[in-house]
Amino acid sequence: MHASTWAGVKLVFRKEAVSALRFRAAWAAMFMFALTTLACVSLALSGARLAAPLAAALLWVILFFASVAGADRVFAEEDTSGTLLALRVYGGAQAVLLGKMLYTFVLLLALGVFTVPLFLVFLDMTVASPLLLAMACVLGLAGVAAAGTLIAALTVGAAANSGLFAVLLLPVILPVFLPAISLTAAAFGAGEASLAYLGGLVLYDGILAVGASVLFDYLWYEE
Amino acid sequence: MEIALQDVGQAYGERWLFRHITAQFRPGTITAVTGPNGSGKSTLLRICARLAAPVEGKVTVTEGERPLVKADYRERLALVTPELRFYPCLTAWENMSFLLGLRGQELSPACYSELLSRVGLQEARLRGVLAGSLSTGQRQRLKLAVLLASEAQGWLLDEPGANLDASGRALVMGEARKHAERGGLVLWATNDEREEAAANACIDLGRSEAGL
Repeated sequence: MHASTWAGVKLVFRKEAVSALRFRAAWAAMFMFALTTLACVSLALSGARLAAPLAAALLWVILFFASVAGADRVFAEEDTSGTLLALRVYGGAQAVLLGKMLYTFVLLLALGVFTVPLFLVFLDMTVASPLLLAMACVLGLAGVAAAGTLIAALTVGAAANSGLFAVLLLPVILPVFLPAISLTAAAFGAGEASLAYLGGLVLYDGILAVGASVLFDYLWYEE
Repeated sequence: MEIALQDVGQAYGERWLFRHITAQFRPGTITAVTGPNGSGKSTLLRICARLAAPVEGKVTVTEGERPLVKADYRERLALVTPELRFYPCLTAWENMSFLLGLRGQELSPACYSELLSRVGLQEARLRGVLAGSLSTGQRQRLKLAVLLASEAQGWLLDEPGANLDASGRALVMGEARKHAERGGLVLWATNDEREEAAANACIDLGRSEAGL
């Protein structure tokens, strides 16, 4: 009997969400990291205003490291709890990858919804273009979710899992960060937003998602 | 579905677990894989399931003339091994409906209840209980319930009687025999003489070379 990929994606997403709600450690660590960093930066600045490009870079540094604290768990937890074998036997590659990618994206969106308003309040930032800020965050976090899910799958089982995940993720994610930071800075009022950056971000997100989908088949099925 | 091993060998580092295994596993037969601890029984099953690649030799899976690869093969398989674990944060019902759902099978409450009683579990006692809280024997029986529900042609069983009482071991042997009689393929790794005797054929990995 064949399961449709979309039905499998929904099942994997739902399983991830239910497990995360019952076992809060992974996402709680992400949110606590973001909150702690924001509080530290806010206290250190003591009300001083940051230049828009610097504030944009700082926001993405916080989002990146908070993501690293949780995004690598999607496969590592399957490995440590021993459930990866059951998932490999019963789950199709694309349903597993896309379900986990979708879950990571939703989790990172929630992280963004939590972090960005606090960032704006703590650092007293004014937003010249809220729509541009929202687009930069959504597209940037989509890239982190796509790259993070694939690299989490690649590094599963590695002895130094967390370290390897961050090391491999950084070069893959840099082409996402550069336009995302530039667009965020523009949203904070530092010059005009470049449409090329916006288009580039959409294109790179697409390449990451398609590349992950193609590579994952080889990873999932040993032949 | 037929699995053929041709001159298969597996090694970890410099040490060979087994070499020159040539065998064919056909529908309607139970094949036992025996040998002392560490002889590579579980590894051979993983190679047959294509969850690991052999260092040498070739594994071919066919259905009629058609080779089965990737998802086509994986969805015809079901495994019961000590390494196969359920999601500890999900209940027995959630685990079963998730795993079977990934295969496109919908598990109705009536079917779930019937499967549980078939493997000697009581639904009422499992209701709301997370899989992480089940006893080892209950988890083993739950694995058997997933196996029976999976409608898979190929059953790869690694010590399926482990952690089960006498009635549980009899259940495994009876279900495996019924599956083979329905035309299914059963491959089980065992050290139990009764399970070995119940098989139609046997590969002994205790010998340096084995073949069927």
